[in-house]
Amino acid sequence: MTGDVFRGRILVVDLSSGRSTGLSLSDRERRLYPGGLSLAAFWLGRQPAGVDPLGPDNTLVFAAGGLTGTNLLTASRTEVSAKSPATGLYGTANSGYYWGLELKAAGWDALVIHGRAERPVYLWLTDQGLEIKDAGHLWGMDTWRSLACLRAEVGDGQTQAAIIGPAGENMVRFAGIQNGPYDAWARTGLGAVMGSKRLKAVAVRGHRALQPADVKRFVTLARQAYERVKASPFYVPFARYGTMLAAGPYGEFGALPGKNFQTGHLPGWEDNCTRKMVPKLSSRGIACSACPIACAHWTNAGEGLSLKDLEVTPVFCLGAGLAITDLRAVARLTAFCQQNGLDIVSAASTVAFATELFERGILTVRDLGFEPGWGSEEKAMALLHLIVHRRGIGDVLAEGTRLAARQIPGARGYAMEVKGLELPIADPRGRWSTWTFGYLTNTRGGDHLRTRNPVENLRYNENPVPYRTERYGFDPAMAAGLEMSEQDRAAAFDPLTGDVNIPRMAKWSEDLIAVYNSLGLCIRPPLLHTLGPALLAGLWFAASGITLSADEMLACGERAWNLQKLFNLREGETAGESVFPERFYREPLPPGGRVLDRQAVESCLAEYYRARGWDPATGVPTPAKLDQLGLGRQAHTT
Amino acid sequence: MDPTLCVGCSLCVLACSVYQRGVFGLAGGHVSVERDDSAGLFTIAFRSTCRRCHQCAQACPSGALRSLNLEGVRENDG
Repeated sequence: MTGDVFRGRILVVDLSSGRSTGLSLSDRERRLYPGGLSLAAFWLGRQPAGVDPLGPDNTLVFAAGGLTGTNLLTASRTEVSAKSPATGLYGTANSGYYWGLELKAAGWDALVIHGRAERPVYLWLTDQGLEIKDAGHLWGMDTWRSLACLRAEVGDGQTQAAIIGPAGENMVRFAGIQNGPYDAWARTGLGAVMGSKRLKAVAVRGHRALQPADVKRFVTLARQAYERVKASPFYVPFARYGTMLAAGPYGEFGALPGKNFQTGHLPGWEDNCTRKMVPKLSSRGIACSACPIACAHWTNAGEGLSLKDLEVTPVFCLGAGLAITDLRAVARLTAFCQQNGLDIVSAASTVAFATELFERGILTVRDLGFEPGWGSEEKAMALLHLIVHRRGIGDVLAEGTRLAARQIPGARGYAMEVKGLELPIADPRGRWSTWTFGYLTNTRGGDHLRTRNPVENLRYNENPVPYRTERYGFDPAMAAGLEMSEQDRAAAFDPLTGDVNIPRMAKWSEDLIAVYNSLGLCIRPPLLHTLGPALLAGLWFAASGITLSADEMLACGERAWNLQKLFNLREGETAGESVFPERFYREPLPPGGRVLDRQAVESCLAEYYRARGWDPATGVPTPAKLDQLGLGRQAHTT
Repeated sequence: MDPTLCVGCSLCVLACSVYQRGVFGLAGGHVSVERDDSAGLFTIAFRSTCRRCHQCAQACPSGALRSLNLEGVRENDG
């Protein structure tokens, strides 16, 4: 029995013709691509190279996680992929909440969108079918109002919508797609892809139930998964503080992205911007479907505004990045980004970039129309307005920092990006770890969500930096609990010291996270170190009837990773692009005063490529690796 | 039942559907959670068909639903 938790059903919609077709994956494809990221990467692997990311030929894929819709904790997530207008490479983002569950309940595992509508439209998908509806009255409207109008129009307040705001409509290259009011497929500019297709929203509502192949086995294993996660020492702190747990340690390390990565420390950070603020500003957690952790918080932002927020990413990027240490102001800027459909990380980085250019006299009041400044909510908001509506200098900044720096003489050294994607969160000069090394290896560019040591220990921050390793420091039982093969374990942990080998752990964790992004799970630490490929393979069999060993399950993640890399190589990515901004190698970061050692970083990259079975000099997957993953026919040729 | 503690995860609804019907779905169960997500508010409702198996309360991570087995107290008043 296969059940219908994952049937491999794909709805393909052509907005140019208005036609839609239902397709099914073959049995082989269902084995190789268990939903989410893996399915999206498979589909986009067939897209010809050189397509204009903002043209009608760019394909936009929404792929629900293979286990999304079940009661496995956090199985709520959906991957959205297309060629990125921000990077020109594989664009992708992952988000939870309820959209994916509704897509599955409407009878589909993925939705593929081609073409461009003549006029603004939205898709209305239910288990009764698909309608392409006029969205002229929603065009220009912010995401919160659009969502309310759309729900009223379809007569169902529980309808979920992937929706763009004015930033996406205006094709700001770092526009995201809002997932309901407060969640988002934020990174890599997928909202601009929707805008280019004149697609305002994809609204879904389904009533079908999902039948696991072996319901008793699934329920037993899902309970086992829950028990493991609850036993994690990270569980209770995460349920209480969410991601704000990281705000304090990074402030102590001096690794904040302060003022466009000019300083790792900000006065008042510890008292105003860390987990201490959670009970002061919020009353309770808010969850995605099937998540008992509820890491986000219902937050009082002042000025009559409350929202689901208090997450560390906006606090680092809009807070530290712009030197704003009032978390209510950060929450209001977050709300602006959500309403207008901007990726918070890239938006904050772009505002920080412009502010530093002004500070250095590269941009003037004449260019900007006003005087920007650090620590000002009002001035940050003014720049964001210009960007969203592409007014004045905003039209240049809406291209993202890399492209904007090419248009502004003298600006190149101040774009804090890797491969065209603005850097998030922590400065690797202040904190070198698997996490910050991942900014270089991530297939979507400078980003922190696809590479991380599942047993990262925030009690330690070594100086001088060993580069190849990070200190472990937990009870050995925690490392022993990772479901690693003996070979992977020996590579990822030093047998004598127990220290974590950064390049090897980066590879292993990327594959595991790609599995999570395929099955639809959240990558928060309480899960990442407790739910490994063996348990997930068991759950996958119980849900879908597909038998995979633990190694084969991990290989599904590795395959997805390689497919994205192959996409990037076809689009012209070179090994030379895997570098940090020059500032990180040349300018000592106050207060610690460190710079990165270029040679040591490159040596880590070479070891990472070897761990991946890629050419250590070029970072190109070898034919042997691609054959091993069943991707031999997709080998990269130059 | 205390909806002010609800975090909106729907684990109660999913537990109900799988224990009572052997499937996962938010529709057609004995318990439902309606989300007013823009306001961060949730309404929990039980149908008269509820079989009082308490799986919803066991699945609830927030304390919004709890099983009370006190004699003389009707379970759904908890």
